[in-house]
Amino acid sequence: MSELRALTPEEFARAEQRLRNPAPGSRIEAAKEFGIDLTLLIEQLRLTPAERAQKLQLASQGLEPLRGIARRQPR
Amino acid sequence: MQFERAVRALRDAEVEFVIIGGVAATFHGSASVTFDLDICYSREATNLSRLAKALAPFHPRLRGIPDHLPFIWDAGTLRNGSLFTLTTDIGDIDLLGEVTGLGGYGEVKAMAIDVKAYGGSVSALNLRGLIQAKRAAGRPKDLLVLPELESLLEAEEP
Repeated sequence: MSELRALTPEEFARAEQRLRNPAPGSRIEAAKEFGIDLTLLIEQLRLTPAERAQKLQLASQGLEPLRGIARRQPR
Repeated sequence: MQFERAVRALRDAEVEFVIIGGVAATFHGSASVTFDLDICYSREATNLSRLAKALAPFHPRLRGIPDHLPFIWDAGTLRNGSLFTLTTDIGDIDLLGEVTGLGGYGEVKAMAIDVKAYGGSVSALNLRGLIQAKRAAGRPKDLLVLPELESLLEAEEP
């Protein structure tokens, strides 16, 4: 089984360029028009997979109380 | 959700599983936040016993079912079903015996990639597999994440 690794500096530079300057007709351009914040993806791609997992843990813990409040709101 | 604690428990018990869903998407670079752990697991009898044992300390219950209704967490219960949406002491965990658009554990494992995270190695669905599964599931919440996943795939293509 192959391993998911952090991008090499060259791979990251290529991905960043594509995300900052989406090619016309590309899926990245479509995502931008859809409303995806591509700068967030660039920041994620700077990290290793383990660092991304750690960041998710922190974000999930931080947002969990708000999620509970939203659930309790009367409709 | 205590993702690391859940993954370590499964790994320590030698459960055969592949991380799918939001956590797998995060490994690949998604910026979306998820609050549950989704795994596809082997339906082999030994694995069901390991899975039951691994999660037992966290007192799994079926999500959305009143607490007073009886629920027995053991390998027998796992044998009688395939999809379990659980709430546990460490957060929500979804167990899938098969994944829409991909198939059972064998097919999912064939599309898995090894990830070094949570203090060791863990299998996670690859990016193409995630996109395939989300597209096949076709629910609004699945389709919403497709543009992000497809962007990551395109950005990382050689």
